[in-house]
Amino acid sequence: MIKYIIKRLIYMIPVILALTFVVFTIMYFTPGDPTAVILGNEYTEEASMQLKQELGLDKSFIVQFFNYVKNLIRGDFGISYISRAPVSEQLLGRFPNTFKVVAGAMLFCVCLGVPIGVLSGTKPYSLFSNITMIIGLLGVSLPIFWLGLLLILLFSVNLGWLPSSGIDGFPSLILPSVALGANYMANIMRTTRSSMLEVIRQDYIRTAKAKGVSQRNVIRKHALQNAMMPTITVIGMNIGALLGGVVLTETVFSIPGTGRFLVESINKRDTPCVLGCLVIMAICVAISNLIVDLIYAYIDPRIKAQYSGGRS
Amino acid sequence: MEDTAKKITTKKEFFKQYKKKSRLQEIWKMFLKNKLAVIGLIIFIIIVLVAITAPLIANYDNEAIKINVPNRLKSPNSEHILGTDELGRDIFARIVHGSRISLIVGLSSVAVALFIGGAFGAIAGFFGGTVDNIIMRCMDVFLCLPDVLLALAILAAFGTNLVNMTIAIGLSFTPKFSRVVRSAVMTVRGIEYVEAARAIGATNVQIITKHILINCIGPIIVQVTLYVASAILTISSLSFIGLGIQAPIPEWGNMLASGRAFMRDHAYIVMAPGLAIFITILSLNLLGDGLRDALDPRLKQ
Amino acid sequence: MDIKKVNIEGNTLEIRNLVIEYVSDDEVVKAVNNVNIIIGSGKTLGLVGETGAGKTTTALSILNLVPGPQGKIVSGEVLLEGKNVLTMSEHELEELRGDKVAMIFQDPMTSLNPVLTVGDQIAEGLEIHRKISKKEALKQAKEMLELVGIPADRAGEYPYQFSGGMKQRVVIAIALACSPDLLIADEPTTALDVTIQAQVLLLINKLKKKYHMSMLMITHDLGIVAEVCDEVSVVYAGHIIEHGTLEDIFDNLRHPYTKGLFDALPNIEARRSELKPIKGLMPDPTNLPSGCPFHPRCDYVMDVCTKVLPENKWLSDTHRVQCHLYKDTNNSML
Repeated sequence: MIKYIIKRLIYMIPVILALTFVVFTIMYFTPGDPTAVILGNEYTEEASMQLKQELGLDKSFIVQFFNYVKNLIRGDFGISYISRAPVSEQLLGRFPNTFKVVAGAMLFCVCLGVPIGVLSGTKPYSLFSNITMIIGLLGVSLPIFWLGLLLILLFSVNLGWLPSSGIDGFPSLILPSVALGANYMANIMRTTRSSMLEVIRQDYIRTAKAKGVSQRNVIRKHALQNAMMPTITVIGMNIGALLGGVVLTETVFSIPGTGRFLVESINKRDTPCVLGCLVIMAICVAISNLIVDLIYAYIDPRIKAQYSGGRS
Repeated sequence: MEDTAKKITTKKEFFKQYKKKSRLQEIWKMFLKNKLAVIGLIIFIIIVLVAITAPLIANYDNEAIKINVPNRLKSPNSEHILGTDELGRDIFARIVHGSRISLIVGLSSVAVALFIGGAFGAIAGFFGGTVDNIIMRCMDVFLCLPDVLLALAILAAFGTNLVNMTIAIGLSFTPKFSRVVRSAVMTVRGIEYVEAARAIGATNVQIITKHILINCIGPIIVQVTLYVASAILTISSLSFIGLGIQAPIPEWGNMLASGRAFMRDHAYIVMAPGLAIFITILSLNLLGDGLRDALDPRLKQ
Repeated sequence: MDIKKVNIEGNTLEIRNLVIEYVSDDEVVKAVNNVNIIIGSGKTLGLVGETGAGKTTTALSILNLVPGPQGKIVSGEVLLEGKNVLTMSEHELEELRGDKVAMIFQDPMTSLNPVLTVGDQIAEGLEIHRKISKKEALKQAKEMLELVGIPADRAGEYPYQFSGGMKQRVVIAIALACSPDLLIADEPTTALDVTIQAQVLLLINKLKKKYHMSMLMITHDLGIVAEVCDEVSVVYAGHIIEHGTLEDIFDNLRHPYTKGLFDALPNIEARRSELKPIKGLMPDPTNLPSGCPFHPRCDYVMDVCTKVLPENKWLSDTHRVQCHLYKDTNNSML
């Protein structure tokens, strides 16, 4: 098992490197001169040359990339063109907020989506199941930002129950988490449901019933574990989507997080900050993929055995 | 010997025709049984018709673009059925014209993904082995980056105009698409009738075009439908945060962004554009789901 | 291991006039049409027929596990040791399944839960029906493994670690763990290699004798019937068209379909003669032919066969046939 974890960790490194490379390349080819952006009114040929040397922008592409990665390993994300402050500082200040919203959304998704999906899949022709199917269909189509606005309208403006912006305290997390998570909750619900339906049709469920196992235990002991596997895959895939969506959520709810920072930096053409945000988010996705893989391996004995030296 | 081979070919053609026609009919019949899917199809067709006939429904310059400040923020009434926005423009007209942009960028970006991703996926799936490995490893790297962010990066670097948006969104779907095509090709590649085709001497190219592609079309069409929905969502999302279609061009996302400041007292200003996005995506999702169910042979049981 | 009491009053299984249909939106599949079966205590009945004849559905009805909501038991009774299974509550059924009656399914590859160890899967039935602790159940499960020829220390392994033949043995172990009175074996060797088939059959026979079980052996292989069965029912399109002892069917067959089945076997001695398959195909169960379901393929078809379903005619104490040829005679018309 440990071997598997280490193997996956090692595998993560080239992936992150490759991602950094991709993002770096894209940003490198940004037309325009960064020194013009930084120097603004004080732009002169001389100052530009000097600045370029300072920032290492006169070196070749490969060298620049290499330096960037070297610094990255030490935790140095470079300096913002605009604010001249270290990017890592700004990221550090904002990332926790993003994390809170994403975690909240994830909790909302899983805690609601999975149980409802399981129940709905166990009783496929019931009213409950039909209702959940419809809610699922609607939920998957709801744009995050529109839902956010609607929630603000209802709960903040009309009912005044919850705050509509900022991130102080638990109540302010509720609306953003729901807005961000709704899409994915519907997704998870549908996947869990269809995965349950699929599993219940399997022969080994019939074997269990033929043994006299009670319906409740058939679901609990036999169906659930098998049904969870596609669900976990989907949950894993959705984490990336959540990080994409958090940009929208932070905009709607005016939350000072990495997402909003990214958008602001793009508007200000502050490349190091943009790069920093993208890299951090990519690392998050990579780490969460790893966690999902580990959970998967834990549940599926076939994978577990492959890595703990069992018979194959 | 030659005669028998010829006989087989013509008989084969005969059966293939027969099979294909009735299979299409079967699929269509199954699709029709799914009421939600049919509703989705109808709604989507309506949206497409609206987009095509937009200039006939509402005048672009006068109603959608022209700023008319005295007319601003009027609630829905008989003259402006959805009200007017913060610059006095008729919301209904803007929504109608907004559908064009959404559909055009949505469809063309998926076309980009289809061609690039499809090519890579087909090659990877058909040849397998090292070729497959290399291509898929590259695609895996991209899978780590959420689609929106990849599109954002490209737009951040190259600027936001229509062409860039199409390419950016298209590229962000390419990795996922290549996976879909690859697995469809791999499934079909294994099936016996490819062996049978080889046995009568068809070349690789013939096999790819006649047998494999035709049978991959099913799952690919389903994904295309669902991706168009995603693409439309992405465009509106990007426009919402200001990195997509810029004002004054009407786009559902940027309409929401600009109307947001006024929504407290004029809720309708965020209702219509949001509903437009929602209904479009919903119809495409229903359609895609319906297609997927109709094409899945297992569900026939 | 616990050896069951030897003689049970009456028949282990009686199925009376069973009719089962599968109903979907646009069609009705008539799977089981007026089937009557009796299995005496300690006896083995072979249910013979081609794929799709309704054999598995009949078997599932004994456990009341016909898959709903499409599967509907239209009429009839299934009496297991005198009690009608079709009217029992879910709770009563759960007590019966695995304990009084057990089933071995056709495909061992998919019949085992991939995420549970084989030991756990065997022990589960024991825990439920014998009310013993998990540890004790596991111990007995290991004994069962040994009985079916698998080393007991493999109890902690998962199904994917076993070959097809061994998986089927595990399935047998699960079925026999609580020594049921009736064992239903649904084509237990079809999915296995020929050499393994023989081993598994031998095992089933041995255990059947050891536990004095009644058995319903479902198969399309006449060779297996000859090895294992006391009586035979031949099924076609959900009807039992002939029934008798092993001698009745193998030496004195009467129904044209039964003849067709035997004729279709390749004859090693007469190497030159052509294979003689039964012409035509199995009928579409949503659209069964009128009258006798076999008439489109029958070499002896008469006018009445296309219109009227033949009645059951008893040719002797043990032998009955459902065919118009025998309306007025008991002698072979073939």
